[in-house]
Amino acid sequence: MSLTVVKPGLQTTLQGSPFSSHRHLGMPAAGAADSLSLALANHLVGEVAGAIAIEITLDDAKFVAEKHSAMALTGAASFFRINGEDQPLHTQTHMKPGDEIHIGPADQGCRSYLAVAGKIGAQSLLGGQSTYLGAGLGGFHGRAVKAGDEIQWAGNSEPDPTATKTPIELRPNLSGKYIIRVTTGPEISALTLYSQNKLFEEKFQAGRRANRMGLNLHGIVLEMENDEEMQSAPVFPGTIQCPPDGEPFLLGPDAQTTGGYPRIAQVIKADRHLIGQLRPGSEIQFVKISSQRATEIYRQKLSLLTPWLGAVSLW
Amino acid sequence: MNIVDIHICDDTLFCQLGDLDTVQAASSALRQQTIWREIVPGLKSVAVQFDPAQITPDEASDLLREQLLKPQAAAVPQIEPIAVPVCYDKIFGPDQEWIADKMGMSSEALVAWHSNLSFTVTMLGFMPGFAYLQCQEEIAKIGRLPKPRQQVEAGSIGIIGDQSCIYSFSSPGGWPIIGRTPVHLFRPENNHPALLSANQVVSFRSIDKAEFEKIAEEQYSRELGE
Repeated sequence: MSLTVVKPGLQTTLQGSPFSSHRHLGMPAAGAADSLSLALANHLVGEVAGAIAIEITLDDAKFVAEKHSAMALTGAASFFRINGEDQPLHTQTHMKPGDEIHIGPADQGCRSYLAVAGKIGAQSLLGGQSTYLGAGLGGFHGRAVKAGDEIQWAGNSEPDPTATKTPIELRPNLSGKYIIRVTTGPEISALTLYSQNKLFEEKFQAGRRANRMGLNLHGIVLEMENDEEMQSAPVFPGTIQCPPDGEPFLLGPDAQTTGGYPRIAQVIKADRHLIGQLRPGSEIQFVKISSQRATEIYRQKLSLLTPWLGAVSLW
Repeated sequence: MNIVDIHICDDTLFCQLGDLDTVQAASSALRQQTIWREIVPGLKSVAVQFDPAQITPDEASDLLREQLLKPQAAAVPQIEPIAVPVCYDKIFGPDQEWIADKMGMSSEALVAWHSNLSFTVTMLGFMPGFAYLQCQEEIAKIGRLPKPRQQVEAGSIGIIGDQSCIYSFSSPGGWPIIGRTPVHLFRPENNHPALLSANQVVSFRSIDKAEFEKIAEEQYSRELGE
């Protein structure tokens, strides 16, 4: 026993690095929806960036500790309390047996990451351990945790005593408004020229149908050049597709591997972690950039993170 | 090989290819290369992902073009044909009636017709083990649902024109559904997790509800026994 779930909240899953190199079998990426917050949490407890941690969604969640361990919380939580006492986020914290750990609901943003010093036990498959809810695979028996579940971890690694607080400038700034940079997708011309422009001029709101697979985008209805059926083609986390009803949707980490609707844009790798913080009602402005610029931005972002996190990649 | 177009995103290249044979040959060839983190074939296209910290999109695109232009040994393996049991009871096929109407036949005739066709797996995708199937016959235009369903049950058989599909897990989905198989399509503990493979020949064997339940139960106890 290490941590007993008392209140799981809306959806709490074990997530770390995504699955890779199995998309051709239809296996999605899964993994932490906000890879940056995951890496920052893991660093504070001395774990590698993609280690399995606890991903908490929107609602508050409660756990009871069963042992001594270092832990750290990052992401959208409005508060972090141990036995009712406020603790800072982005800070190496400690739990002892019997402690009640309370993670506040998200005021802004959507997901929080609770990392612990040790390797969290999770189902291994296809070279990964993250939870893929769509097929009930990986993580904690392939599902979100429920009250009474016990999350276990082996060992008791000693976190780095010099890495106890995430530098302020590296902490993601969560708000209700997001600027998300995209490159155009292969079927951008399925939209009328007018709608192609509107996609990058108008703001969209994340719809109520929002989960780890993706979210609907409300705002203007996009017009299609024609209603030709498309052949099913590869899609990825960050792909924006537009079905015939003209309401586009943005794919998240659990996105299917292929889709049959025009792929009108692709969120750049450097900004994809933001998808994990979108919630119903979030305002999104898509900004179109070139793939060359997107690569520069990604490399810049990594070079800002590397002095703190060491070698790291985002997804 | 005639490369129509490579569309470049920052860590993903989307490449249009002429036909399925080209797609399968290209995918096998690209799998020999270590640079690609994902190689995902579509029906007429392939997409690859790479690490933009290591290589720029333009460099990756040049490399992909070069690799695709190399002459390739056709080594797409032939796999045993499989007959997938399907129950066409209307409770498993919510769209059966309107599809039959659209094709100008009775539901019974639609079932007889569909279970006599021979399909080839064109690709796996959408979710683990989900199979896209193609038949040679010309079929009246049956389109995707205008708004995807929130919940399609695992094993559901979809049909769009000359294509069919099998849903491996319950999920939202846009294919009109005519029946359901009790057989599981994806078992990650197996060496080959997916039941079906690209290029495999698939037919559908019509079963009644009793046989559906029997097969479902057998699979369940087999999984418990393992």
